[in-house]
Amino acid sequence: MATLHVLSHSPFTDSRLSSCLRLLGSQDALLLCGDAVYALQAGSAQRQALELMPEAIALYALDEDVQARGVAHPTRLTLVDYPAFVALSCQYDKVNTWL
Amino acid sequence: MSKSLLIISRQAPWSGPSAREALDIALAGGAFDLPIGLLFLDDGVFQLSSAQQPGNLQQKDLGANLQALPMFGVEALYVAQRSLAERGLQDQTSSLAVERLDDSSISALIDRYDQVITL
Repeated sequence: MATLHVLSHSPFTDSRLSSCLRLLGSQDALLLCGDAVYALQAGSAQRQALELMPEAIALYALDEDVQARGVAHPTRLTLVDYPAFVALSCQYDKVNTWL
Repeated sequence: MSKSLLIISRQAPWSGPSAREALDIALAGGAFDLPIGLLFLDDGVFQLSSAQQPGNLQQKDLGANLQALPMFGVEALYVAQRSLAERGLQDQTSSLAVERLDDSSISALIDRYDQVITL
């Protein structure tokens, strides 16, 4: 049962991202939206942690949120729009939104 | 067969409504005989502290509601061992029967449930 983990809070103000990364299943995926896309900030420990995830873990981010914040993104990242966000939510067995 | 639901409660008890809301979901689900699991993660482990005196904040005691969980059929109660250790709570005894889990066990736990809510 693969889970899509959705994060929307800045990883610099709390521990959602680090807890999520520790608990990821081998087939799970991560979708960053809102301030969570700041985790992609080059040179940050958070970006490094994302780069170190196993290859099997898919990494997505909401395109408009990335563009709005002007964050550069790593090659393994797949940018998605809202329709793709919905499609991903259906594709995975469940969605865990870290509210 | 009802879908099983894992509630992950990761906020401290008096920082906002999250802890109470997570508990309310668990109790409501239990009242309807849904298969509910409740995991305390990150600051959520502070909810299990037995020395709380929330009356000083004009708040009702969350502990009483926690004790009600088994009565509502919510017996799958878990706490993150790492979160306890990070906060110096590893030696604390809880009046509630809560199973301590390491990271990989929590990962397997999330995998096992049909649906997950993290508050």
